[in-house]
Amino acid sequence: MAATLSLTGPPDLDLSSASDLSVSSRSSNRSLRVAEKERKKKKAEDPFVLALKYFSDVEAGTPVNGNDEVERNMVLVEKLAYSKGLSPEAISIMLEFAMSLRMGTSLCARVLKCLIPATLVPQEAVVRAVVWLSVGKIPVSTQILFIKWVLTVFDMIDAKDQLRAVYGFIFNFVTEENLCPFICHLLYLLTRKESVRVFRVRKLLELQSRLGRQPFLLSLLSLYKVFCPEMVMLSIPSRIKSGFRNHNMPWKSALIAVQKGAGPHVAAGISPASTTIKTNPRKRKRCHLELPVMTSVVSKEAQTEPSSCGKVVPLVQLHSFAQLLENMHRIELPAQMGSLLGSSLALQYLDCVQDESALLRLNFWLGYALHEEFLFCGDRGASQNSQEALPFLDRLLSTQHFLQGFSCSEAFLYKFLNVWDGSLLRPQILGLLSNIPVVPSAQIRQLLFEPLMQLFFTSSLFFKCGLMECLNNMLLKWLTWHSVYALEDDLDISLNSHTSINMTLSGFKDSVMELVDFVGRLASLGLQLEGCHSLLLSFVLDFYETVCDMFMKYGLPLVVMPPPGVFYPALFATDPVSVDRLAYIMHRYKVNFTSAKSQEELTKQAFHISRQMVREFNHYIIVMVNCLWNSKMFQLDMGLSLGEDLLLKSKVPQYWASFDLVHHPAFMSYAVDFHHRVSV
Amino acid sequence: MERHQNRETRTPRNNVVVHRRRKSKSYRLSYRSGLGAADSRLGWSPALTARRLNTSRKAAGISNIAERVDPGQLALLVKTEWQLSYVTPLHQFRHTQLKSYARQLSAFIAAGKQQGLAVEVEGLQTTFRVSFSLVQGMTQSDEDAESVLVQIHSKRLFARQDEPQKPVWSGWLTCINGNPDYLRALPKDFVCLPLFGCSGADGLSALVKSWFQQSFDCCFGLLEISHTSLQWLMALWTNCHAESGIQHLKMIWTLPAAPPLQVTYTEAGENYIDIEEVTSFMQGLKSHFYRHFRLDLSAGSLNQVSTALGSAKYSGRMKISNSRYMITTLTLLTECALLKMPI
Repeated sequence: MAATLSLTGPPDLDLSSASDLSVSSRSSNRSLRVAEKERKKKKAEDPFVLALKYFSDVEAGTPVNGNDEVERNMVLVEKLAYSKGLSPEAISIMLEFAMSLRMGTSLCARVLKCLIPATLVPQEAVVRAVVWLSVGKIPVSTQILFIKWVLTVFDMIDAKDQLRAVYGFIFNFVTEENLCPFICHLLYLLTRKESVRVFRVRKLLELQSRLGRQPFLLSLLSLYKVFCPEMVMLSIPSRIKSGFRNHNMPWKSALIAVQKGAGPHVAAGISPASTTIKTNPRKRKRCHLELPVMTSVVSKEAQTEPSSCGKVVPLVQLHSFAQLLENMHRIELPAQMGSLLGSSLALQYLDCVQDESALLRLNFWLGYALHEEFLFCGDRGASQNSQEALPFLDRLLSTQHFLQGFSCSEAFLYKFLNVWDGSLLRPQILGLLSNIPVVPSAQIRQLLFEPLMQLFFTSSLFFKCGLMECLNNMLLKWLTWHSVYALEDDLDISLNSHTSINMTLSGFKDSVMELVDFVGRLASLGLQLEGCHSLLLSFVLDFYETVCDMFMKYGLPLVVMPPPGVFYPALFATDPVSVDRLAYIMHRYKVNFTSAKSQEELTKQAFHISRQMVREFNHYIIVMVNCLWNSKMFQLDMGLSLGEDLLLKSKVPQYWASFDLVHHPAFMSYAVDFHHRVSV
Repeated sequence: MERHQNRETRTPRNNVVVHRRRKSKSYRLSYRSGLGAADSRLGWSPALTARRLNTSRKAAGISNIAERVDPGQLALLVKTEWQLSYVTPLHQFRHTQLKSYARQLSAFIAAGKQQGLAVEVEGLQTTFRVSFSLVQGMTQSDEDAESVLVQIHSKRLFARQDEPQKPVWSGWLTCINGNPDYLRALPKDFVCLPLFGCSGADGLSALVKSWFQQSFDCCFGLLEISHTSLQWLMALWTNCHAESGIQHLKMIWTLPAAPPLQVTYTEAGENYIDIEEVTSFMQGLKSHFYRHFRLDLSAGSLNQVSTALGSAKYSGRMKISNSRYMITTLTLLTECALLKMPI
């Protein structure tokens, strides 16, 4: 800093004498002083400092209404208070100004509300303010506000000895009914052994007979009893249920914001009492995503038939799997099913028991939470949502490993997809989407495909890849579910099974067909939009690796070929991995076809392989072989038709061999590698 | 959320008749019930696709409610402004246990007061007495559950015996003409009373709601009356000209201008609208405003509607001033509440 200032300093600095050490040190000293003076001048002109000066110097009785200067200065102070917090001098000036009521009572409450300390609160200021409290002109609600403020910033007061010195003075306020709870709280924090006197105990007992056994009086008396048990004669319950309330409401969010902004510079003396402030600043509305506490059912009067096995064990008392197994037959579900989401033990029990109304209750709570948080939330910003929503959705996703298919999350997703922007909590929403059970083909288009189409075509490459992966997972889950349940029973799952079930095998096949078609269309257009990007291509080929093995791996009698919009980009891709995967996929298709044909001959089951599919497959194979092996591209009837003159115009020599194994751009690296080895 | 609202006014495209299947309680689901489960899952919201606001309603008939409901209870319900919420179905709520519920709720409120949860400093000297009562005669169909009225009276510590106790808080739960398919689809131990109204101190409302949540595993959410429903209410109320000579119609729109603009339209006259013509009435109104004041009302939202029969606001506050058309109003509000059910 000195170096730069010496360059910008007064012009009479002689830089040529820099070699002379003493001269240079003198000049650098001088430039430091100059810098100091400049800094002080700038500080004095700082608008905030001017505002503080105003508040400390303003005359009593200056009018407030219509006074623009006061308003301007107040706004400045408030702005600084809410952004960085006020310095100790600022706090003492503002507190003095407010409590002395120099400009009337209206500004007092406003100032108190914005007194957010940045680091410390000087205790002289607090003591002076307490003195002003007794003058008696401050309205009651403002007095209460002041005491609440003292309680809130209590831990930031630098020393408490002066406050303790005026203990008796503060104690006198206890007789005021409105201030009593807050004064008791403050006294509770300030009491030491010397403060306990007989007359004070007597006063508190008198108050108690007037006001009843109020928790704040009881707490203070119990503290007195701890210090001097011989002075306090009455019996106090050893555990007072409530103690003191937290009174930090108006300052809570601002304090958190300031402390967060201050970071590591916050005074280390933030004791546990103030850690209660570190709750979510958005507590104005009840947080919908908070899991209810697991409690047992309160009233058992409704039970008409007593449980035959004696005592019923509420779920909240079980803590290990062994205990669960022991008491399996007499477990009672908790009062609020939403609390189960937090405990994997409870979920395992629920999965085993499959109680309909219990699941319905859980669905109601979960659906309510999801709807309120994401759909009915009105104007709340997305940033506030993701802080709590993220862990909640993660937990929901892991729950769905135990209990598949919450119908409420399905219903929620159908509504949410219509209003989703595609980026809020994307991995979680896509994860929930892949867990949707099989949707009947009559509704799948309207419920699922239309919103997804809109999202797909207006989104980034990464969303497209994510959606591909999600749909792949969805298909995998459907196929797995089908294969598990189909193999388990020896039911005849052919088309002649009874038709009253709405989801027959043919219905399932229809749904799968719709899904695969849909993904094929999305993939073709998506690849065109993204210029056949290899990342998207790889996700698409993932999907078709699942599709090609539907018969062999999952036992579903259905074969669907990829559309040309997927096949050709893969064939002409510029990376060898895609071509290789395409070849693998075609190979698997062949295996599936041959196995299906042989099985058809064996068992005479009604598995009709669609002729159209076989024709497509043959066509693709011919194209592929011609292209890669026979060097006969563009010569037979391919799906692509390029005129001869266009091909000649491209001036590619021997265009019919341009994509064979030797010339394919994807295999260029192998060709180079080959030449290296050969030449050595 | 405009699209979400639009969904409400489209007629159902496909009448999916969904059968609810009872899941067998076997440990492993068989294939059939597994497949059926796919259907029964959607069956939980049997009106996932079929639940819409009705696009046509019968004209408001006067129901002789004064003859069927206890007049004392009726007087409590009208002429107060209620804050509405929707409630998910209550688990194991018994209409026969109201006395015990009243006792439990008083204990809960007393405990809450100890924790300093709801009550202001001057409430130190009062205790609360809770009463649950059945409001019989309001239900319209067999599926509806009986409405329940909750009242909290305050009792000062040294009150005289004959001092009348006025309720400091009251609330009610009701279901009028709820969607019968939905109601029938619920299992037996659930009672569906989707509409909840309360008036009184916010702290007490919060306490009562959390007691209900802990005892019956239900959830409360704010019921906002969309502008479509407000238009319906307006049409319902102004159509009742034949019986009482009312016509004071007041509608308030909020337009997103800077500073926010509020447009009030007050009609005091003999105009009446048929229910089916409400949309053309609104159209005419909008073009009138546009032609004369260059204000496009569809850019804003209808916030409040009030007539001599009652008033309703977007934020969910509602007042019924005349008991004659209470049933139709409550039917509409029950429908709005059922639309908000999560499944």
